[in-house]
Amino acid sequence: MKLLALCGLAIGSALAIPTVAANSADKWAPQSFYADRCERCHGPSGWGTRTLAKRLPAGQAELTRRAQLPASYIAFVVRHGVGSMPQFTPTELTDRQLAELAAWLARPQGAQGAKPD
Amino acid sequence: MAELLPPGVAPAAFAAALTEFRQALGAEWVFTSADDRASYLDPFAIGDRDDHATAAALAPADTDQLRAVLRIATRHKVPLWPVSMGKNFAYGTAAPAIKGTVVLDLKRMNRILEINEDLGYALVEPGVSFFDFKDELDRRGAKFWMSGPAHSWGSVIGNALEHGVGYTPYGIHADTICGMEVMLADGSLVRTGFGAIPGSQEWQAFKLPFGPVLDGLFTQSNFAIVTKMGLWLMPEPAEMAGVTIDGPGRGDLARLVDTLRPLKLDDTINSTYTIANGMRQITGGARRADIWQGPGAIPIARIEQALATRGKGWWNVIFNLFEHTAGGMDLRVEKVRRHFADRMPQAKLSVVRWKQGEPQAPWMRQETSLAPLAVVDWRGSPGGHSDFGPVVAAVGSRVNTLYEMVERRFEEFGLDPWIGMFGIGGRALVFVADMLYARDDKAMTEACKALFRQLCKDAAQMGIGVYRTHLEFMDDAAAAQTWGDRALPRLNARIKTALDPVGILAPGKQGIGRKPA
Repeated sequence: MKLLALCGLAIGSALAIPTVAANSADKWAPQSFYADRCERCHGPSGWGTRTLAKRLPAGQAELTRRAQLPASYIAFVVRHGVGSMPQFTPTELTDRQLAELAAWLARPQGAQGAKPD
Repeated sequence: MAELLPPGVAPAAFAAALTEFRQALGAEWVFTSADDRASYLDPFAIGDRDDHATAAALAPADTDQLRAVLRIATRHKVPLWPVSMGKNFAYGTAAPAIKGTVVLDLKRMNRILEINEDLGYALVEPGVSFFDFKDELDRRGAKFWMSGPAHSWGSVIGNALEHGVGYTPYGIHADTICGMEVMLADGSLVRTGFGAIPGSQEWQAFKLPFGPVLDGLFTQSNFAIVTKMGLWLMPEPAEMAGVTIDGPGRGDLARLVDTLRPLKLDDTINSTYTIANGMRQITGGARRADIWQGPGAIPIARIEQALATRGKGWWNVIFNLFEHTAGGMDLRVEKVRRHFADRMPQAKLSVVRWKQGEPQAPWMRQETSLAPLAVVDWRGSPGGHSDFGPVVAAVGSRVNTLYEMVERRFEEFGLDPWIGMFGIGGRALVFVADMLYARDDKAMTEACKALFRQLCKDAAQMGIGVYRTHLEFMDDAAAAQTWGDRALPRLNARIKTALDPVGILAPGKQGIGRKPA
């Protein structure tokens, strides 16, 4: 009976359907966005980390361990991409969220909670 | 990034349209800055990224706002390029076919409207990514699995619409579509199939309605905008096995295909199988410079040498088996072993197993991933990739003839022949002959374009066409559809004119509607 009721709602009124708003803006935080999306490539064994390790000083390939990472540079890279990193559109990461993410990443090494070398 | 106008639109008309778009969506969801527009460029463009730059991007939140956008666009004749997540990597990503076309970004329409765990289906909007969808299935502890493509950043709807492929028995994603809601260019909203009946409980349950089945009309097309889609989900299996077949040499492709075919046709192999050539096998964990520093493509002899040091044959096959009856996997695996022992004894089979309740492993391909992007830098950074994807009947001799032609052309044009084939549906293989290039090497990107166009002509000579292309090559791919004095393209054009008479929806997609009607 519950099944039938749900299906009926699905057709009758989209607004009444139990919905899940993916990427709900009200729970957004830079560290959770970083963990969820950026770390897939920029985590300890990610493709981005392996690529950056070829041209950065030892121990700085992970973004959260970088000695210098200006917020303005992060903002540019996220919108334009760099090397083979694809860009993020403003619907994935708004300008306000990007500014928060950039500020969080630009903090001094280790301040994001990563363990310094 | 220089300011642009949409094709055929005067500056004053575009300015008026932008003003109206801002009134309809809110100024924050109309993107015209250089930085914002840059975010919609193709990150793996084959040549100059600005060749497919957008004049602006628009992001409606719902179908009411979408309808308002379409009416404004129609009034000012502004062409739109709808994208869902806009992560169609290797095929153009979010960029439009025709420079200046305004991107219509549907990412904000991102609701998972229903996951029905009795009937095994979902109803989603375009902005739901595979990341989002997997997260929701996990959050619910759902006993249904997602079939995801190689990378997970893209849209569930978008991948199905573009005929994407996964690695489960539900891996032909367009085949899992059951019911759509689409908005036509004039703003009217239509529900296909049983969605046409108010109160239907079968919209996502049965594909064949009273009357034509229209869902296919809206895949790889520019006839309407898909705003909702029903997709079937696979029940969690009781058991899985991951099979790797190694050892066949360069001359064994025809026999390999003919050996696999009956197992796929009778559903013993009940998911997509992948055949990888030697080039694909030597890239993992390797740097190109360690293998070859000479000019042009890596010679075949050098690839064979690299394979020999790894103890590998030229061909490698992987596939997963799925079983819903506990204990049934033993029979399935044994049948595969006996079949290969009889027909291809030189092949070495290795099998890993999983049972419901055990931790999942990477070979099961159930975790979301961006790992396939790692190969993009093979020819140097910034790298890019795109592929030639012909569809060929699963007949060994025909597959081998096509393979030899493709490999020869890659070597001729100086590109490493990174070629895989996907056994989809039992009766055909889809090639993914990947062109890996350094984006800032103009000679190399021009070679890619020339190679693709040559391959299109070669394949057409065999009566073979492609399943999907980068937007750079859509006209080239469509040019092969010549039967009956181009009867199919002419029909597509008639449908396009009927449904989108002003020509505002995705001009040029799949070679359709490049010029306004």
